[in-house]
Amino acid sequence: MREYPEQTAQGSLSAFADIVREQQGMVFGLAYHFLHDRALAEELAQEVFLELHRHLATIESPRHLVFWLRKVTSRRCIDQTRRRSFWPKFRLDEVPEPQAVTREADPLLSRALARLVASLPEKARLVVVLRYQEDLDPADISQVLDMPVATVKSHLQRSLAMLRDKLARTVGEIAI
Amino acid sequence: MSYLEDDLRKALRRTEPSEDFVDRVLARVNRPAPPEPTWWELLAAVLRPPRLQWVALSVIVSVMIPFAGVQYRQERQYRAKGERAKEQLLLAVRVAGSKLHQAQKRVLEVGRMDTRL
Repeated sequence: MREYPEQTAQGSLSAFADIVREQQGMVFGLAYHFLHDRALAEELAQEVFLELHRHLATIESPRHLVFWLRKVTSRRCIDQTRRRSFWPKFRLDEVPEPQAVTREADPLLSRALARLVASLPEKARLVVVLRYQEDLDPADISQVLDMPVATVKSHLQRSLAMLRDKLARTVGEIAI
Repeated sequence: MSYLEDDLRKALRRTEPSEDFVDRVLARVNRPAPPEPTWWELLAAVLRPPRLQWVALSVIVSVMIPFAGVQYRQERQYRAKGERAKEQLLLAVRVAGSKLHQAQKRVLEVGRMDTRL
């Protein structure tokens, strides 16, 4: 897919706008689920797209574009937590409502889970968000985060155990 | 797949930013780059330390100077005491030496008298 960079190089901002429109849910979602702060996540997502605009010529394919965006967003999420003493705020009213509630989805359970995910250690949190927002397998996550596959798997296992335990204590005896 | 994993997928689904997100990104892309700073602006930026660092530095200095002063005075007092003790010890050694010498002289004299008798 060379059409994005070529069109943008010719001054087609609308091609770049299309990319932003297509990928904003992914980039903002990663940042939001990681930071649990809408304003910070929007700022971070904007920075990611500005960086993409500067590096558009290096993007080789749609697959590469998605990989690049995930990698840069993940790196910036980690940087963000290291740059400032950031602690996630768990105000229930700030957690977004699920957009399309499918099947027997429980909004309260989703909110509780989002809060619990935001309380995980930064690396583990990123692994969980990439696994369940982007549906990436451990091998893909290891490439995005430059982390051994075994470490990704161990983060996932420990995080799931931690979440299961915390959720049972938070929500009560739920069939999980 | 466990119920927990299924619930995580629902809780962590992709989320859209505010409606004007694309416009704001494009506005930032279109914003002209800030002019290159001149050499004196760069120099001033390098030489201008953050305010917080100055505050921390002055707090450290204002604590360290009195502490160092007290330490120096104590050190001098210990040294002076040590010097005095050394002098006293030397005097005592000298006195003891001279007494020992006198005693030795007396012993020798008594010895000589005994041999004469």
